[in-house]
Amino acid sequence: MTKNLTRRDFIRAVGGITAMAVSGDLGPDVFAAQKRMFQFPEKDELILLTSRPPNLETPLHHFKKRVTPNKSLFVRWHIANIPTSIDLKEWRLKVGGHTEKELLLSMDELKKFERVTYTAVIQCAGNGRSFFEPKIPGAQWEHGSMGNVTWTGARLRDILNRAGMKSGAIDVSFNGLDTGTLPTVHDFIRSLPADKAMEEDVMVAYEMNGEPLLLLNGYPARLVVPGWYAPYWIKALNEISVWPKRFEGFWMDIAYRIPDNPCACVPPGSTPQKTIPIRRMNTRSLILEPEDGARLSLKKPVRMMGIAFSGGFKIKDVIVSVDGGKNWREAKLGRDEGRYSWIQWFHTWVPSKPGRYGLMARAMNGIGESQPFESLWNPAGYMWNKIEKIGITVE
Amino acid sequence: MKILLIFTVLFSSVLFALSQDRTPNATVRSIHLPDIRTDLKPGEGREKAESLCVICHSLDYIPMQPGFSKAQWAAIVNKMIKVFGAPINEADANLIINYLAEKYGSKE
Repeated sequence: MTKNLTRRDFIRAVGGITAMAVSGDLGPDVFAAQKRMFQFPEKDELILLTSRPPNLETPLHHFKKRVTPNKSLFVRWHIANIPTSIDLKEWRLKVGGHTEKELLLSMDELKKFERVTYTAVIQCAGNGRSFFEPKIPGAQWEHGSMGNVTWTGARLRDILNRAGMKSGAIDVSFNGLDTGTLPTVHDFIRSLPADKAMEEDVMVAYEMNGEPLLLLNGYPARLVVPGWYAPYWIKALNEISVWPKRFEGFWMDIAYRIPDNPCACVPPGSTPQKTIPIRRMNTRSLILEPEDGARLSLKKPVRMMGIAFSGGFKIKDVIVSVDGGKNWREAKLGRDEGRYSWIQWFHTWVPSKPGRYGLMARAMNGIGESQPFESLWNPAGYMWNKIEKIGITVE
Repeated sequence: MKILLIFTVLFSSVLFALSQDRTPNATVRSIHLPDIRTDLKPGEGREKAESLCVICHSLDYIPMQPGFSKAQWAAIVNKMIKVFGAPINEADANLIINYLAEKYGSKE
């Protein structure tokens, strides 16, 4: 069944250099002109970053929809042996450790817990990594390692209460079915503080957009920690352990850490004194229309639209500029889909003279967190949320 | 009429066989991942890079990177060895580091 597709897949020059040529310094700094598009099983054609393990990015235009279709959602795995076949007769979710009893939940049993549903942004910690200067090793994501999905599942809290967390629980760890190719490769296990694990909105999801999860997105069940970056959202989840002490592991203690200061940043190229695990998402906005480098005709209204989201605190407002940041107007917000969802914003304006225009958008969340004009550098390239600037020409 | 009966019996048994064949897999969901090849640039050390890096990951991880200095590539290769246990001896590691720095180096 496996085929060598080297000659059959196709390489496409997309956006990148062309957009930069048109918009000059206004365009995003794209590291490579060529993006390889590829269709993986159960998926649309996505941008191929790596094939083993699969890391696939969603092209920006898919984000014009309020909810990201399953086929379009990005794919991100860390270690090479990923589950490609699941037998629900065999699969069990084991819950144990510092608990009164151990549970071995089948999918039928998992579905008997009260069903909860909400829409939440899922976003890779390294979304936007490729834009940082100086460049940072790792998956070179642009903006597409994110999506907005309606998740359905059981509350983690209900599952933990069924197992009976003993007093003195400190952390809860989560393991999935993926493994490394060598025994020395650290298994991808992540943990939440016990009090976070008991929050109402953390769920073990078994549906995305009303359908079973896709295998590449964590079938049959994954953790959903709305508002927090996706490394916590363990895919193909099969083991939950409660710890009476702090959980220790490579993926918590060495990887996925940010500088321990209010901006989570250090001078570009430098090393932070102290780090902490990356957790809640910062505030971001994107311009989806018009596209960077677009040529539009004078006197016709320009319709700007985009999305904005934050780590669970709603979006209070989005302001836009059409003159490279000199003047700002408030954009109109779309339908509110809840505090974890992204929200669409719209702004229409009629250009009065021909020329080049720099379009920008800046979101602010419900607790006053916004976006910086200059990127906030950190050694792993996480939490990119600089105000985006695109260039268009009116003629 | 007889022919119709024989046909019906035959058809039902085929259906039955098919359904039996499927039953054990009714709870199984599978995908087949495509085998996508990436060719690295020709150069001394390419064969070592191709044979050793793929133990843990596909080769597209290499051209995906924006281009790093020799020191940065050395840090990456050493991380693979020391942190993830990649079975690469010192001579091969040096060969691979030089190759990566030369063929996938900084784009200044």
